[in-house]
Amino acid sequence: MATVATPAAQRHLDRLERIWAEREGLTGWLTTTDHKRIGLLYLFASLAFFAAGGVEALLIRTQLLVPNAGVLSPDAYNEVFTMHGVTMVFLFVIPISIGAFGNYLVPLMIGARDMAFPRMNALSFWLFLGSGLFMYVGLFLGNGPDAGWFDYVPLASKQFTPSSGIDFYALGLIFNGVSTTAASINFIVTIFKLRAPGMSLNRMPLFCYAFLAVSFALVFALPPLTAALSFLELDRRLGFHFYDVASGGDPLLWQHLFWIFGHPEVYIIILPAFGIATSIIPTFVRRKMVAFPLVALAEILVAFIGFGVWAHHMFAVGLATITTIYFAAASLIIVIPSGIQLFAWITTIFTGTPRFKTPLLFILGFIVFFIMGGLTGIMFAAIPFDQQTTDTYFVVAHFHFVIFGAAVFPILGGFYYWFPKVTGRMYHEGVGKLSFWLTFAGTAVTFFPMHIVGLLGMPRRQYTYPPDLGWSFLNFLESIGSYVLGAGLVLIVANLAVSLLRGERVGNDPWGGDTLEWSATSPPPAYNYPVIPRVTSPYAMWDRDDRQADARRLERGELTLERGHETPASTVLDAEWDEILEMPSHSWMPVLLAAALAAVFTMLLLGHWVTAGAFSAVAALVLFGWHMQEPQEA
Amino acid sequence: MNGVTRSSEATSAIAAAYAERRRRAMPSGVWGVALLVATEAALFGTVLASYYYLRFDAARWPPAGIEPPDVALPLALTGALVLTSVPVLLATVAARRARVGSAWGLLLLALLAQAGYLAVQILLFKRDLGVFSPRDTAYGSIYFTLLGLHHLHVVVGLLLELGLLVKLLGGLTNYRVIGVRAVAIYWYFVNFMAVLVVLTQLSPSL
Amino acid sequence: MSAQSRARSLLVAGLVLGGGLVGCGGDQSALDPESGQSRAIADLWWWMLIAATIVFLGAVGLLLLAWVRRGSEGFPFFGKSERVSVGLVLTFGIFIPIVSLIALFVVANLSVAEGTDAPEKGSTSMTVEVVARQWFWEVHYPGTGAVTANEIHIPARTRVNLVAKTDDVIHSFWVPRLNRKIDMIPGRTNRILLDADRPGRYRGQCAEFCGLQHAHMGFVVFADPPGRFRAWLAGQERDRRAPTTPERKRGERVFLDEACSGCHTIRGTSAAGRVGPDLTHVASRTTLAGNTIPNDGRYLRQWVLDPQHVKPGNKMPALDLSKAEARDLLDYLESLR
Repeated sequence: MATVATPAAQRHLDRLERIWAEREGLTGWLTTTDHKRIGLLYLFASLAFFAAGGVEALLIRTQLLVPNAGVLSPDAYNEVFTMHGVTMVFLFVIPISIGAFGNYLVPLMIGARDMAFPRMNALSFWLFLGSGLFMYVGLFLGNGPDAGWFDYVPLASKQFTPSSGIDFYALGLIFNGVSTTAASINFIVTIFKLRAPGMSLNRMPLFCYAFLAVSFALVFALPPLTAALSFLELDRRLGFHFYDVASGGDPLLWQHLFWIFGHPEVYIIILPAFGIATSIIPTFVRRKMVAFPLVALAEILVAFIGFGVWAHHMFAVGLATITTIYFAAASLIIVIPSGIQLFAWITTIFTGTPRFKTPLLFILGFIVFFIMGGLTGIMFAAIPFDQQTTDTYFVVAHFHFVIFGAAVFPILGGFYYWFPKVTGRMYHEGVGKLSFWLTFAGTAVTFFPMHIVGLLGMPRRQYTYPPDLGWSFLNFLESIGSYVLGAGLVLIVANLAVSLLRGERVGNDPWGGDTLEWSATSPPPAYNYPVIPRVTSPYAMWDRDDRQADARRLERGELTLERGHETPASTVLDAEWDEILEMPSHSWMPVLLAAALAAVFTMLLLGHWVTAGAFSAVAALVLFGWHMQEPQEA
Repeated sequence: MNGVTRSSEATSAIAAAYAERRRRAMPSGVWGVALLVATEAALFGTVLASYYYLRFDAARWPPAGIEPPDVALPLALTGALVLTSVPVLLATVAARRARVGSAWGLLLLALLAQAGYLAVQILLFKRDLGVFSPRDTAYGSIYFTLLGLHHLHVVVGLLLELGLLVKLLGGLTNYRVIGVRAVAIYWYFVNFMAVLVVLTQLSPSL
Repeated sequence: MSAQSRARSLLVAGLVLGGGLVGCGGDQSALDPESGQSRAIADLWWWMLIAATIVFLGAVGLLLLAWVRRGSEGFPFFGKSERVSVGLVLTFGIFIPIVSLIALFVVANLSVAEGTDAPEKGSTSMTVEVVARQWFWEVHYPGTGAVTANEIHIPARTRVNLVAKTDDVIHSFWVPRLNRKIDMIPGRTNRILLDADRPGRYRGQCAEFCGLQHAHMGFVVFADPPGRFRAWLAGQERDRRAPTTPERKRGERVFLDEACSGCHTIRGTSAAGRVGPDLTHVASRTTLAGNTIPNDGRYLRQWVLDPQHVKPGNKMPALDLSKAEARDLLDYLESLR
């Protein structure tokens, strides 16, 4: 609960307030390096892309409502389903998990005042926004990519898709990859170096373990995609021959490279959701997580093992038997760390005293859908069954249950959970519960019948279907489900939007949360914590003695680090305090560098190679200018 | 609170060297470049793996009409490049000991040697382009892409050193010492990759 | 009906949403197998479904129980035991999964997979070669001169080696009732076994996104009694039925003079195009346009005269024919049995 500060404490708060003050207006937002503001920028940008991807989904489902519906022409349909996949994976779920939730919460949870590289954090956002706009400009010019989100060659080669949609896709995703790589590096260094003194690695919240794992996975998973896309562009624009058989290339090279990225990508998508779930569960069941070390290890193992299973996306391609058998076996191994986490969550919920508020409901929905998607995933490791159902609606059902049901539900629950922290207001619980049930029902009705229609022989990615194969009723049902799902999502947004204006005001800790962010005010001040917290367990908020010690230190002005934009840096394993860092604050460089890079990619798209080179030189100059301003000069 | 340095206040060479000595863990900047190296290594690994994938797919490698590459000059060049790791390493040692002048000189030496390396490599690249084209075969495509990727990284490394040289004209600070360490790590990586790239490039002749 | 299939049927009925399901049947249904290979896959599916349902209901049951017991901490009987909690995680998260996954692996990937892999050389009685093109299927019978499109005939109860190739983009050959799908990739030759239990008609479709009209790249497989198959094949081998009436002779002239012969082959004439399907015996097929429309007079007229309306984006241009030319051309095509 918020307490009234004593005059002594107030002096420190005022001083920190002045040092960390955010600039006003548009300039303030364009030059911000504050992780919370950047998190909010990511939030709104990804929600806008979520809406776009959602509209694309509704268009698909409306086209498939009945056979030969005529809502979308074949080429429009192909652009819509491609952009749906690209948008949801690259422009929604990753940015919202890592950019919004990660950025806002990780520094708070580790007791830091910002990310390790605040300006690069801002750069990540502007690059993300730029890459998303880049790809959508293509769509709006009538040149959207239309060969699917995994864009197989030779279909995506110049010969079979001469239009520039594929170039928007390839260059846009390379551009997007720079953003995500920068963000991943930032998270790893932040989590390693900026944890509050005393927060040794085994006292770090599980949310941070998930983000550490996901960041390492991204560092290694994105380069294969960059290589694949670069080879594609070299083939398309400069006439190279990586993928064409006639000159010694191989279309399967694309598939291998894409899936070496693509499979870890799906674990990257779900790991933040695991992190959110393991934050919400202890708070709402008022019990520490069962088998904490096993869960932390499992989160890391999922990221790691995910690199060894990519060719299970290629079982129908005709690879050697020994190869397919290896990949099937490796794919089964992933079940173990997933199962460990699942049963840890279920056991924690069972043995605690749960309060079934909206955030916990979304986690329960997540668990149900994760089990369902996980079970069908296991079925795909049965090679002959995979070869029967891959590329059908059965696999569409599987991945929507894991990507939507399992990765997005915790995000929705997370919105509700952290809404009071970010806004200082409470949402409407009754509407919250209704929004959960609508979304849950909509998800189930949209995606469950897809298992059946896939087994009945309906392949994926077809813009219409014949009326005489027994698919019509199921498609109709799925489409109705999608409208219900859409309504549920709209209700969530409406609830939060209205509550933002009229919700009941709350203090620091309305839930009895277990992690440090609940000790800060709601919303937190720009400097997060007036006193650097001392941490002795992973459930820092439940250690009342430590938090009371923080309050006493504020009185005495100890550990307030108020000589500048300061935050402590510690050793990696044991978090012994090593030095005090001065963090950069407002800067124009990130948005300028992002603009320069956007120009480079635009010139590459247009084929103006020399101009692209010129803008690269501009980017290099901006980067030099960036390093002209050292943190102590900020 | 005791004995913890405010390292960014170290704006003189001596203070910076002191901050370096007091620090127990690797600074953030060094971690950052280490992770950059990791991701770039993954990129090179992917391109190298693609080379071998295409090679093992092929009946003849290089394809008919293309001679296997000459071995001597590329190997010698790579040896020279790897040797530039020495002045780079010495430059970091000097910087960490507050010897700005030495650091500056060593970095300049490294830069000149590396620029010379790049110049010869570009000449060889152009010569190869006159003989066979990346637009004719997959062999050409991967050969020139692999080499081009490496040369691009060398260019970036030269620009980083140039930037450092400019900044070091204003003396050493904690930030710049970390900068020297970071650029050094980048160069060790480029030089290591150069070995893998040249061995792959020359593999049909070895 | 055996006890096993009865149990399966009950399960299906129980699991189906709202009673709206037509049944597991359907011309392209993986759950209506007509070969040993598809049956093995379908059986595997049913057993996996049973196991998955048990796990799913068990977990959901635990969550429901958690709701019922929301006022009490710990377990019934065991109380607040951290050891029991961790033990549960280890048992259900590690030990039970390891055992069941090994079992699944052995059954599916070592046993069933043997039948669904490419047939051993020499273990089949005949070969059919299918070359996928955007957006139709070119069918060859090696060793004969027979070439057709979009309709494959095989003798029933015979092991057929189906060779799957393509020259353009990646496609996938899939007849669910007979076997799993196999991708067709430029530069590679894949093979799959077709072994129909009995005569019948089986629907297939391209199962790898291949561009604008991927949705309408279907085909049919007819498993015929051996005698009927041989007669069919002999018919397909022959050159076209020479036109006998004046209308049909004019129709053939139209075909050869217009753009048609640039894309299509009719053996016995000078038309040798390979962009579109071989039309030598087009009237013998039951469907047109990649199993998109039935092959009767009305649909044939629509397909030939306004192809972009039937399959927008396909490579056949609309022809500019007079009414008489159109009538003669269609008459001729309908005669090519």
